[in-house]
Amino acid sequence: MNREATVLRSPFGARLSFNALLTIALLFIYAPAVYLLLASFNPGLQLGLVPPDRFSLTWYVSLAGDRKLLSALGESVIVGAVTAVIATPIGLSAALAFRAMTARRGAFFLFVLFAMFVPGTIQGLGLSVVFKVLAVKPSWFTVVVGHVLWALPFAFTVCLVSLAVVRPHMIAAARDLGAGPWRAFRDVTLPLVRTGIVSSLVFSFLLSFNEYSRAYYLVGRYNTLPLYMFGAMNSGASPTIYALSGAVLLISFALVAVLLLGRRFRIGRSAGRPGNGG
Amino acid sequence: MSNRPHGAGRFRRPALLLALPSLLVLVGIGLVPLVIVTVWSFWSFDPDTYWITPEWTLASYSALFDTGRVPVLVRTTWLALLTAGIATFFAFPAATIIGMMSRPRRAVVLIVLFTIPFFTSALIRAFAWRLVLGRTGIVNEALVGLDIVEQPVEWLLFSNFAVVIGMVAAYLPFAVIPMVLVLGRIEPSVMRASEDLGAGFWTTLRRVVLPLAMPGVIAGFLFVFVVALGTSTEIQLLGGAGDSSIAIMINDVMRVVNFPLAFAIATTVIVFLSVIVILADRVLKLSRMFEDLGT
Repeated sequence: MNREATVLRSPFGARLSFNALLTIALLFIYAPAVYLLLASFNPGLQLGLVPPDRFSLTWYVSLAGDRKLLSALGESVIVGAVTAVIATPIGLSAALAFRAMTARRGAFFLFVLFAMFVPGTIQGLGLSVVFKVLAVKPSWFTVVVGHVLWALPFAFTVCLVSLAVVRPHMIAAARDLGAGPWRAFRDVTLPLVRTGIVSSLVFSFLLSFNEYSRAYYLVGRYNTLPLYMFGAMNSGASPTIYALSGAVLLISFALVAVLLLGRRFRIGRSAGRPGNGG
Repeated sequence: MSNRPHGAGRFRRPALLLALPSLLVLVGIGLVPLVIVTVWSFWSFDPDTYWITPEWTLASYSALFDTGRVPVLVRTTWLALLTAGIATFFAFPAATIIGMMSRPRRAVVLIVLFTIPFFTSALIRAFAWRLVLGRTGIVNEALVGLDIVEQPVEWLLFSNFAVVIGMVAAYLPFAVIPMVLVLGRIEPSVMRASEDLGAGFWTTLRRVVLPLAMPGVIAGFLFVFVVALGTSTEIQLLGGAGDSSIAIMINDVMRVVNFPLAFAIATTVIVFLSVIVILADRVLKLSRMFEDLGT
């Protein structure tokens, strides 16, 4: 796709109003979260901002002493990691299937995506009654089952986008040189999509780590972190909940931003080199 | 696509094998529980075992009407429509800037900014609005500080207003992404031709870009609508006391282990959503939008 820098020539007024709406949209999305983050550094009991020189990690430090919180955190980390490790290969495989398909691609894509749009409450309820009938006790594993389905559409899309750098002629060349399909995949495709796989692992982990409404129906004895947080948010919030929210937000933002920006710019650089397919 | 009887034969074997794990997950974990919920919504509730027995009945559906559940369905639908409308209003200019009015580097940064929210906690982002909209939140402090109002405005938080704001902020990215995809598929020469024929920006936008982008715009609207219809987070954290939504209602019904009624509500929603998606796919060829991704 070779497009000129800007496709649509626009008068100043149009650019101004469109940019204003875009800015409002981004403010809507980010401003409250950033405000919460800044407020979480306020050492006082009274909510609100303090000047940066009075920032303190008091509430963050007190997080470490909360046993229920730590157990919920542990549960969420396990569930997220296992979810990521299961969802990513399945997503990659589905993405390879999508590329190998000659017909009904769009339908397949929509089918994979459908899991993203089924209300979490309904999916969680449905799964929990299936587990009940199968006499499967709720545990971290039942949450994983629900979360693999939730993460799959994202893992699939991320892998699919990263597969764009693998041109058909590269695989054809490998096959001409005598490589079997597995060898061609391992030696050509896999190294090229390594960053895509890492992104998919991280995204799947984060999706699971932050998921609430499916976990509500599927958890066993130990709450996951979002369930713990929901309880804390509705019980006359002590300021530790702001620190906890701030910590979770920071980790999520940082991981995603590093991955997305890092990967995009690498593609941007290599695309400039001649003979790089594209 | 032709409907030849051997059309499925073009689904080549390697593709089928590679698709198998995902199909197993989607059908086994995704579809089967939904089908079971649908079937069991027509079974009877057994008060002795607090479970269901396979006697066919419409009792749970009539209970849906008798116990005042319908207003909640209507209310949730109405809030989701409003959310989708507002989100679309902001998403289209944003998508136009990303897809047609930015250099590649800026477009990438903006797409990243609209992607990050997918991977952050919806719970926390809704909760953060409490700090902004509450009695002592920044909005009220600014309003009082600037002497616009004398007393803090109460209806900013724990109201429909807060719920819609929270949902728009949470689900706006769902509207932006399909619009960016569709705008990227419009041939630049089409816009050039429109300009050469003397059309200004607004005319080109209205007569050329908008009609071509319509499937993406409607898809974006629908994505937000569908997600907003099924969420409980924003209403639980930002809605007024006693406010309900479909998801909250299901949770409440399950707390008194009335399985068939919960199943009936869930089935109503599943059928409603399926009809919308299938209709949209028929009319807009939604599936076409995604065909050249990753190639």
